[in-house]
Amino acid sequence: MLARAHTFTIEGLQTRHVTVEVDVRPGLPGFAIVGLADPAVREARERVQAAIHNSGYAFPARRITANLAPGDVPKAGPSLDLAIACAVLAASGQLPGERLETHVLFGELALDGEVRACQGTLAVAQATREAGLGSLVLAAAHASEARLIDGIDVITVAGLRSATRVLEGGSGDALPEHPADGAHALAMRPPGPDLSEVRGQHHAIRALVVGAAGAHNSLLSGPPGTGKTMLAQRMASILPSLSRREAIEVTRIHSITGELVGRLASDRPFRAPHHSITAAGLIGGARRGWVGEVVLAHNGVLFLDELSEFARPTLEALRQPLEDGRVAIVRARHSAIYPARFMLLAATNPCPCGYAGDGDRCGCSETEMTRHRRRLSGPLLDRIDLLVHLGRDCLHDLNATPLTSSAKARERVAMARERQAARLSKHGVMVNAQMDVGMLQRYVRLDSRSEAMVRSARESGLLSARGEHRVLRVARTIADLNGSERVRARDIGGALALRAEASLAGNRAA
Amino acid sequence: MSAAGQDQEGSSACSSCLRRSWLLAELNAALEYLCRDRGRLGELLGLGDEELLRALAGRRRAELESSYARFERADLHQMPGAQEVCRHHRSYPSALRDPGGPRMLNVAGGVERLRGLAAAPTVAIIGSARATDYGVEMARSIARGLAASGVTVASGLSDGIAVAAHAGALEVGAGSLAVMPGGLDVACPARRRSLYRRVTRAGSAVAELPCGARTRRFGEVAGERTLARLAGLTVVVEAHDSPGELAGARLADALGRTVAAVPGRVTSRASSGTHVLLMEGAHLVRGPEDALELLCGPNGPGAHASNAARAELEPRLRTMLEKVGAGSDTPEKLTADGEDAGAVLLMLSELELMGLLARGDGGRYLPRYALIE
Repeated sequence: MLARAHTFTIEGLQTRHVTVEVDVRPGLPGFAIVGLADPAVREARERVQAAIHNSGYAFPARRITANLAPGDVPKAGPSLDLAIACAVLAASGQLPGERLETHVLFGELALDGEVRACQGTLAVAQATREAGLGSLVLAAAHASEARLIDGIDVITVAGLRSATRVLEGGSGDALPEHPADGAHALAMRPPGPDLSEVRGQHHAIRALVVGAAGAHNSLLSGPPGTGKTMLAQRMASILPSLSRREAIEVTRIHSITGELVGRLASDRPFRAPHHSITAAGLIGGARRGWVGEVVLAHNGVLFLDELSEFARPTLEALRQPLEDGRVAIVRARHSAIYPARFMLLAATNPCPCGYAGDGDRCGCSETEMTRHRRRLSGPLLDRIDLLVHLGRDCLHDLNATPLTSSAKARERVAMARERQAARLSKHGVMVNAQMDVGMLQRYVRLDSRSEAMVRSARESGLLSARGEHRVLRVARTIADLNGSERVRARDIGGALALRAEASLAGNRAA
Repeated sequence: MSAAGQDQEGSSACSSCLRRSWLLAELNAALEYLCRDRGRLGELLGLGDEELLRALAGRRRAELESSYARFERADLHQMPGAQEVCRHHRSYPSALRDPGGPRMLNVAGGVERLRGLAAAPTVAIIGSARATDYGVEMARSIARGLAASGVTVASGLSDGIAVAAHAGALEVGAGSLAVMPGGLDVACPARRRSLYRRVTRAGSAVAELPCGARTRRFGEVAGERTLARLAGLTVVVEAHDSPGELAGARLADALGRTVAAVPGRVTSRASSGTHVLLMEGAHLVRGPEDALELLCGPNGPGAHASNAARAELEPRLRTMLEKVGAGSDTPEKLTADGEDAGAVLLMLSELELMGLLARGDGGRYLPRYALIE
């Protein structure tokens, strides 16, 4: 007798629909699973047998074949257990098979028949809706994630017994769930680092607020001990919270990697990989379905501390995501496109010893400086909108009043982002950093004085064409922060003062 | 012109001078060793060929003497685009004809152009290879002002001040004169190739040693001696107080040329050498105006354009420029007393666009011109 059940497998960030076909025939007792199953799926044999026994059903002592269709898609993970077990029960006549056609079964089985939650619930719920299947049966622990998706019936079950009850037409178990909106988690969260803890560095703080407001890629440069890392860690605290669409994108990614379960992401991701990271670790593709840091930083911040210590190929690999907001990974037998729209925040010393521009302390030779600059220039500096210098001489008295607090800064950033979204959302863009040339011409309206400044910067060779676009984007953001619809001279002045150049060390000779 | 000159068409150097150049390259190792004693090196370079051989050849003397006797022009490594000129030719810069000067030069950029450059008043802008951004900016602005007034800027092509001097002259499209330590084709490090090409396009590069000769210190020292002779005025922009970094100035002084120095902060080690020179009586140079005055007298072609621009500034910009010049040179310091950050950044950018400020290391702003009123 044949039975069919539906479930999903996850590869990278994509879900693939899997139909579990189970055939029970007379013959030598045996249980075979076919269809490119990885070890975790093949081990389902043992878990399914034990769970069926321990739930009070009989495991048929006949020849059982479970086929996972389509046969050419590799399946991974233990999340197919529940579907296999139910299909076995239906094929052996212990369960009516009709409801299996409309229900998606997603969960790992414990040996006693308990249903365990699996990673990637949100993605599976989305796929369930897209496949037109009405109901999703899963464990309670992650159910709140699935409930974020409208239009499907989410049924929580405690064990295999409850699942069969649902398939016989009964109801699921009412089990306690986390609230999904994250408000609860937000309230519980200990307060993170706050801008009010920073003394001095007012210029850098103002620049960071500009960077956060327009999601501009920023580079902090300064000698050791000036607070580059301290400021960068406070970046997360001034970013506006995620919109619902963004939150679902982030939750989907992080639920698949298992870093965030059972609730909607509330904070923007802040990823800070160590500089020993490889290109595959940063971008993804180390093995099939591996997701890199840039993808995990989607809709958030990727912080690269000690930028010059990163391997050159690693930094080169950042070009595509910085340019396109996505990564296309192609490996021997698979390819994938992942979203990766993040704000790059980097910190570096101005020279190998770290003290360039700090009186006589710098002992670096011109050759060392050139090498240091060459490491950074080209691939990255070209895509950096804001260059923020932190100086040692601006360290303030530790008792001085802080410039601002994170809450106040976040308010201004949120206001500026709203203005940007109102202007740009019809182009599918949310922030100024993503404006293309057409949008720049349309939305960056210069008054006569700022027009003259830009012209003179172009004519004096201070700005390249690309540099000019970056300055205009940043100027637009500064104007948004000031609540101005027109870009005025002081906005352009600020953007010019914060511009990044081909070389870190200003206009050193040659 | 000597009877030996012009023995091959197309070359402006005679065989004996070419042979001298060849000999120096052969004795490179010994000279390299001896150049630690600059005074002695000067004496040695003043010797005739035979005496030099006797003094330095050591165990290779017999071998070198026989090759010396059989020397032919073809023994020298040739490089396309390079020309030779010796002191017996009329195009040879007259300043180099005294006995201690080089006997011949390999020239990139044309012998006639070299003659034109050397005939104009020439200023050597020298200084430390490990210059600060202040030194770089000053060297650049002095070179720019001098080149714009028709003065030839001469310097080496090593790091720091020398490179900034050429860059400054190139900014106004003028040709400059680069004195190379070794052969023209090998003396230039790879990262200077593009600057070298730009210099030789409008100006000229000269080397005493034949093409293919690699040197380390000796070439630098020999180059200093050429540079000091070529220039009527030697300006030291920034130098540490070490014999090596001040040697060029000392040599120029010994040759009776005018020596001038640009002051820095007295607390900065990078300017300690120039301060020593100033204490010893070198002229003080704040900008191209002062250098022109030293070169051409008080009624020469003064370049007061920078000050004219300053005089026309709005008061707020002038105050800002003065604050930056006085050491409040980062946005952080400028806003420390509660000034409006947006206005400060605007003024800094405006001044940068006017060419009165430049961005230096660590986000600092540097005035590009000295305050001369």
